[in-house]
This record gives sequence, C-alpha cells and structure tokens, in this order.
Amino acid sequence: MSDTPIARGPVAVSPATVRDGWEVDARVATGTLTLSDESPLAKVHVRAPFDGASRAALGVGFGRTARADLGTGEVLVVGSGPGEWLVLGAPNTAGALRAAIEERLAGTGEFTTVLDLTHGRGLLRLTGREAATVLGGVCAIDFGDAVTPDGTALRSSLAAVVTDIVRDDQGGTPSYLLHVERSSGQYLADALLDPGRPSGLEVTGFRGLA
Amino acid sequence: MMLLPCPWCGPRNSTEFRYVGEAGPRPDPATVTPEQWRRYLYVHANPCGPVRETWYHRAGCRRYLSVERDTATNDVRSAVDTASAAAASSAPGDAR
Ligand SMILES: [Zn+2]
Repeated sequence: MSDTPIARGPVAVSPATVRDGWEVDARVATGTLTLSDESPLAKVHVRAPFDGASRAALGVGFGRTARADLGTGEVLVVGSGPGEWLVLGAPNTAGALRAAIEERLAGTGEFTTVLDLTHGRGLLRLTGREAATVLGGVCAIDFGDAVTPDGTALRSSLAAVVTDIVRDDQGGTPSYLLHVERSSGQYLADALLDPGRPSGLEVTGFRGLA
Repeated sequence: MMLLPCPWCGPRNSTEFRYVGEAGPRPDPATVTPEQWRRYLYVHANPCGPVRETWYHRAGCRRYLSVERDTATNDVRSAVDTASAAAASSAPGDAR
C-alpha cells in the first residue's frame, strides 16, 4: 500500500514515484539549476498582530525567515506579510504543527488564527546560481544579494501570479521557495521552465526542507 | 510604468495595487440621507493636481494605503498604512 499516493501536488509529474504518501516527480536533475515541486511540505498559515507577543513567540517578523523547532522537528518560519506568517514543515506533520503553534500562541492572549493550508497551496523551489536571472525574467523585484539576501521573504507578482517568494539558500547556493494558490502551481512551473530553458533549468523530484 | 512606494514592501509597480478611489470622510450610516450616501460613493472631485486616495496592495502586503499623489505628474508625496494612520490619530478610518 505504501506506493499508493494519497495526495498530489499541483504540478503534473512524469515519471512518478511516491514519497510520504505524496505522488512526486521521480526525475533527478543532473544540472545545477533545478525546479522542484515542494508541495508535500506541511504549510501552516498564522495571523496575529503585527508586532506583539505572537511575533516574539514565532521568532521572526515580516520580511524575514528563521529555522526553528516548534515541537514537530525543524520548520521554516516565514514572515510572509504584516501580521502574517507561513510555517513550513516536513510532509504529514501539518496537524501536529498546527496544534503546536496554537499551543505556543495561546499564552500570548492575542487574537490569532492558525490554519493548515497544505492541500490548498502549491510550493515550488527554484535552486541554482542563475535562479535570480530566471526570476528576474518574470518579476520586477531586484533579486541581487544587496536587496534580497538569504532569509528574505516578500510577496509580489511573479508571471502575473501573486506569489510568496522566500529566499532559502541551500549550502551557499541561491534557492527560492515560491508559494502560490494551488490552482496556479502548474502555470507558474511552466512560466519558470520557459525562461529558464536557456540557462539549463531542469525539473527534479521533491527535496524537502533540509 | 508608475511606481507606488508601499510603506511595507517598498517601491512597487502600480499594477500590483488596486485603485480604491479618492479618500474622504465616511458619513455616519445612522444619520446619512440616501443622497449624501450616493454622493459619498459615486461623486468624486477628480482634481488635476494633488489628491489623497486609497490603494490596496493586493499582490503584496494586502494592506490598504493612504497615498497623496499628484494626478498631473504622478509624484507621490506620502504613502502610509490606512489602518495604522487611523489608529495613530484615533480618527475615524477613511478607507472605502
Ligand atoms: Zn505592500
């Protein structure tokens, strides 16, 4: 039964394999510029006052990211908007992660909402030295290190899709997590693969947070 | 291209925003006449020059902004978060 998928990401995969119950792409890229569908990651959305005790409890403010362990293993806490956070965790931990965050915020006395968005959103990861060039082709933001260094979170229009853009470098290589409405996932993947082709952009399978 | 300086996100292309309209005091719904309410909703000054207006940063911070803009030159004199500005002055909000 372990090879029967119980969930799929928004991007069509071929050939497919199953990891943690999710149907993911079986391809392994050999190049240095890659695009992967990271939708199996748990995605929990938090709303709370912009600058109160919840912000302190989550450990990061608007526009920045932090790695933390909230009790379910390592997660990436993203300050995705003013008074808005996105917490990314390992596949199939969304329920536990949501409960852990709710418990953590309960003590603040602030009005907060914690919502599991895992199956409603798409998450792509674009990694490689030329990643900023590819993004620059479909977005007006300056992706230079001086403006958007590692650990930056922002929301903008990417190929006309409203996207949370999170810079999360991997071993010194620039890497961007791109979080969109699930229904925009396939379109955004296509819209990146097209301008990425001259730079050698390849699809690779699910990588996870590490 | 027209840039709007979002106080949260920095300068962004105006296509990321939704234009809400000229900002003005909202009449009290309990005492307003239908004529006054109609004028509040639909009749605008539309000056050629400085105007205070509301924009919504739909592709960014998703906040309503109060922007002072010159409609002749597109120069933006100030842009502040509408809710924060209203809370700071504890005056009634004028986002529409
Ligand atoms: Zn903004």
